[in-house]
Amino acid sequence: MTIITQTTSPPSSPFKAIEPVDPLYRQIRDIVYKVSGIYNTDEKLYLLVDGCAKRIKELKLRSAREYLDHLTAHPNRDGELRHLLNELTIGETCLFRSMPQIDALRKVILPEFAADKTRQSMKRLRIWSAGCSTGEEPYTLAMTMMEEGEGLLKGWKIEIVATDLNDRSVEASKAGIYGDYGLRNTTDYYKRKYFVAAESKKLQVKPEVKKLITFNRLNLSEDAKMLFMKGMDLIFCCNVLIYFDGPSKAKVVDHFFGNLNFGGYFFLGTSESLLKLNDAFHLVHFPGTIAYWKPSLNSGRLG
Amino acid sequence: MTTLAPNILERIKRIEVTPAIPAILLPLLELLKGPADSVEIGEVVRLASYDNAISAQCLRVANSPLFGIAAPPKSVSAAVVSLGLRRVESILMTCCMGQAFPVKKWVLDPVVFWRHSLGCAMVCRKFSEKLPGSDGETAYMAGLLHDIGFLVNCLAFPEEFTKAMEVARAEQIPLDEAEHATMGFSHSDSGAVLAAQWKLFPDTIQVIAHHHEVEKAETAQALVALVHLGDLLCRMRGMGYGYYERRKVDMISDPGWEILAREYRELDGMDLVRFTFELDDAVGEIFELVSTIFGASTVHA
Repeated sequence: MTIITQTTSPPSSPFKAIEPVDPLYRQIRDIVYKVSGIYNTDEKLYLLVDGCAKRIKELKLRSAREYLDHLTAHPNRDGELRHLLNELTIGETCLFRSMPQIDALRKVILPEFAADKTRQSMKRLRIWSAGCSTGEEPYTLAMTMMEEGEGLLKGWKIEIVATDLNDRSVEASKAGIYGDYGLRNTTDYYKRKYFVAAESKKLQVKPEVKKLITFNRLNLSEDAKMLFMKGMDLIFCCNVLIYFDGPSKAKVVDHFFGNLNFGGYFFLGTSESLLKLNDAFHLVHFPGTIAYWKPSLNSGRLG
Repeated sequence: MTTLAPNILERIKRIEVTPAIPAILLPLLELLKGPADSVEIGEVVRLASYDNAISAQCLRVANSPLFGIAAPPKSVSAAVVSLGLRRVESILMTCCMGQAFPVKKWVLDPVVFWRHSLGCAMVCRKFSEKLPGSDGETAYMAGLLHDIGFLVNCLAFPEEFTKAMEVARAEQIPLDEAEHATMGFSHSDSGAVLAAQWKLFPDTIQVIAHHHEVEKAETAQALVALVHLGDLLCRMRGMGYGYYERRKVDMISDPGWEILAREYRELDGMDLVRFTFELDDAVGEIFELVSTIFGASTVHA
């Protein structure tokens, strides 16, 4: 699920009001971007500052300068970067995390699919949430598609495949129980329509939503299994590839390209870039979000 | 570009230089036409000091973090020293534009319009910084003025333009498409007429006339392409026309990208995603700048 996005404002951006952020953090931002593709805008730089502060404390360092050295010159710099990325992305996920992505889906992509002759004849869409964490993303997609199923996609068959490397995440996803924090972006309309009350004031996703989704454990690095995930129209893989090194990331992205149908879209997290990994994908902008598009056969603009 | 009917031309020509236009706007435009090294600093400073409100605004803008100078200038001549003549001219121009149009007839929300225009100016300058040899301030000015036709439409065709705006909003389509559908011409056409009347640079006129159809530019194609792409990016990153545009933009497959890449080989190596994220950094500044310059003198439509 998207982790660092612009859809909700943080309670405050302390650095902006109090003092300008230390330019060192912009250097750290550059390192993080070059390795992982995650970019913290100035407005979100406080997340990076907070993450670094936790790592500095953990490592018993004295300053951001020492931490920068740790990230650049220390023998364990790759491991450290992974720790930092964990700090940057931990616990940020929730349902309906990235509204610009959902808007792009509902207002631009689904109408495009609905008008596409090949898809029209099949009336079937396959969506893959790769790295689904505890299920927030696939459920968001399922509810969105159910809404569209009442209009634009009436009579269409929707299949959502949700995978994660972690068994416990897959189990939690299947349960589909969320508290206030996970539901902070979910409107009352969706809560009433698609959830039932669960223990300790939590809400559980209704069975008819779950029915759209198949949950599985999957390692994105396993070539044999990746080859099997064919015929996707949409792939969401938010803040997962940031943990992969260059060559493994390139391999996974090549698989995603192969897994997509022509005209399909691949979404990363809202602050995440593919860097320059696959020339066959077209980078496309929607209002407030970007995606990678596998051109249609008839668009004449293949890779 | 659509050839305008005589009655439409007549209505645009009737837009007079209103009292609201700062006296320094036209002389400033005249100065801007010359090469930078032929312009006397004294002349720019003299022009700026002619209008206290404008020089005060100019300093406020020069002090904004967008221009990133450590020691804020306290006078227009100090601003010229720290920011350079061209940039101060751009800033003066921005401030003049804010006062150049009467506030009664806004169809497009003026805050939205200025965010888009100023945003586009900034994006074009940043874009130009990625392309060695291109002039950032020329790009800034072209970005600032590219949509001047919207102001013409507000003044000369308020009813027709209101209709176009309604259609664009309701159907969530690009505003120029809605203009063509309802009015038979767009802000590119009406803007070009005003630009010619004001005797703007020929390159700027090309930008105003062709930023939605880059291939049709007769000269300055690279500049037109740059503004076209800058305009698209602004509209995709929260500095558009104030409504959701239902569209997908493939910038790298856009004819404008190809034209720009022919002129600047560096474009191929550019990380467009990062550039997009970096623009988000500037959006807040643009919003603040617009309220600094235009906030007090505009009303919401």
